[in-house]
Amino acid sequence: MASVSFQNVEKSFGATKVIHGIGFDIRDGEFMVLVGPSGCGKSTLLRMLAGLEEISAGTIAIDGRVVNDMESKDRDIAMVFQSYALYPHMTVADNMAFSLKLRKAARATIEERVARAAKILNLEPYLKRYPRELSGGQRQRVAMGRAIVRDPKVFLFDEPLSNLDAKLRVAMRGEIKALHQRLKTTTVYATHDQVEAMTMADRIVVMHDGRVEQIGTPLELYDRPRNLFVAQFIGSPAMNVVDGTVRRNGAAPHVEAAGGVRWPLGAASGPDGQRVAYGIRPEHLSLADSGTNGAVPAEIIVVEPTGAETELLVKVGEVQIVLVTHGRPVVNPGDRIALAVDPAMVHVFDKETGQRLKV
Amino acid sequence: MRAPSLRRVTNEARLLLIGIPVAIWTLLPIYHLFLFAISPKESAFAGNLWPDHPTLQNFAIVFGEKHYYLNHFWLQMWNSLVIAVAAGGLTLLVATAAAFAISRLKLRGGRAVMNLALFTYFIPAAFLAVPMYKTMGLYGLLNNQWALILAMMTVAAPYSIWVLKQASDKLPLELDEAARIDGASPMQLFRLVYLPLMVPSLVAIGTYALLLAWNEYLYAFLLLSNDRDITLSVALGNFLAADDSPWELLMTTGLIYALPPAAIYYVFKRYMVGGLTAGAVKS
Repeated sequence: MASVSFQNVEKSFGATKVIHGIGFDIRDGEFMVLVGPSGCGKSTLLRMLAGLEEISAGTIAIDGRVVNDMESKDRDIAMVFQSYALYPHMTVADNMAFSLKLRKAARATIEERVARAAKILNLEPYLKRYPRELSGGQRQRVAMGRAIVRDPKVFLFDEPLSNLDAKLRVAMRGEIKALHQRLKTTTVYATHDQVEAMTMADRIVVMHDGRVEQIGTPLELYDRPRNLFVAQFIGSPAMNVVDGTVRRNGAAPHVEAAGGVRWPLGAASGPDGQRVAYGIRPEHLSLADSGTNGAVPAEIIVVEPTGAETELLVKVGEVQIVLVTHGRPVVNPGDRIALAVDPAMVHVFDKETGQRLKV
Repeated sequence: MRAPSLRRVTNEARLLLIGIPVAIWTLLPIYHLFLFAISPKESAFAGNLWPDHPTLQNFAIVFGEKHYYLNHFWLQMWNSLVIAVAAGGLTLLVATAAAFAISRLKLRGGRAVMNLALFTYFIPAAFLAVPMYKTMGLYGLLNNQWALILAMMTVAAPYSIWVLKQASDKLPLELDEAARIDGASPMQLFRLVYLPLMVPSLVAIGTYALLLAWNEYLYAFLLLSNDRDITLSVALGNFLAADDSPWELLMTTGLIYALPPAAIYYVFKRYMVGGLTAGAVKS
């Protein structure tokens, strides 16, 4: 187990800079998720930590030791690849034992460690099989087993679930999290899937274009996104964002959007007349009786029941937004309704900079 | 069963129209070879489609070395075998190492080597026979079987490097990265991960180089001259030195000489075709 520290890390491929001075610390035993759209640099950062990419500038340290010039094999890390990268010509047992054999571990140690990993991952019946004889989920578990037997300081996962179907992905998500809770090994996990990030992470690093947008616990990111990018990236369905202008003259402060729609401003700051992006999550909107004070009039376009909840696509003024309700509202497309907004749950961002306005 | 459509019939007919002439073209000389081999000396040139008195006498003469030209038949057969196997083995060694270094270790200058390898095929090997003769003379290797082995390796290596590099490129890079993280040195990566996965391509290329050396005449003729050193292909050529060449024995020996390559090809044909797509590991 170990801590990991990034300091002003940069990465360039030729003249193209893909990582622009990233710095953050990962605590001992923490499950840290790097999340961002493809091309944001999360995989590159992970590969630099693994020693598969040179570090152009800055330092990366594992357990306080700078590893910039250290070979992968000396960093005491284990990595699970998106494609699993199992050795096709070796059995499951040999795949897991490979690293220990290279380290010239005693035969008894190897057998004991492989048996333990196989037990943890329910791979015992498959030890003599070859990767081609396994299902996707089983291969994924072998890849994890190969990491576990090493008992490394840090586990690295590079989009490990992307090749699995949706159902299996949810199951493996749970398995990886359970594994971490059991082994308590420091873990760095790169994914583009914000649901994976939210469900698994102790803390999340949101990345975009080679920069860190925000670091925090899943709920911090959800409740207080620091900028518009994080706000729209975290949460499913995504946050509704409406362009408007802050109005403080006259009645209660509000944001006026196109078509004269008035959205309650809550406690957000911002002078009268400021152009803003007004964000409200689908689950923080609800149906109200028309005439309720501060309610926003809307028209229903699509009703999507999923059983547990109902997703409504509605038109407010000139924009379409989504709302999620846990009830089973009796509404039909074309109905005119009113939306109640919880002013404590609104997010207001500067239109120019995308930064969150202070409360 | 449904009657085959007109389209299918015409397609089949077209294939047959091409296939039958090609088959006859290919098989006719071999049939001639066979015909000579089972004909008695007197009727070898009779021009029959089947000899009146087929005989295995010719084979007895060849195997028993009972003719002036066949005094060293078994030794020359052995020479051919040793040289072919050595050339095949050496080519594999050189080409595998080159392909691994260029494709997997991403060695600087790898592209240049690949281009050079391709470039060598702009010059026919026959043009290089005399320069090769001079080179081997400089090394003092003339009349030494090593000269032919090294020459054949030189001829076979560029194509082998090219094919093996292409096959290597198809192995997923993550395998190397996983092995590096697992603690493998480049040599361990080569031995424990790369070679086992390349086996089909290696068999294909080994067979290619082996057959190339086995079948070689020109270089063997130039570089070796002692009757006890030459390969069987050169010995076959020597049959033509006399005015009254024993054609039936020449053809019999030729038929025997052609059998090992046919057998090797038959055994490894799975790899010869498979070798070209061997790297295609399912993602």
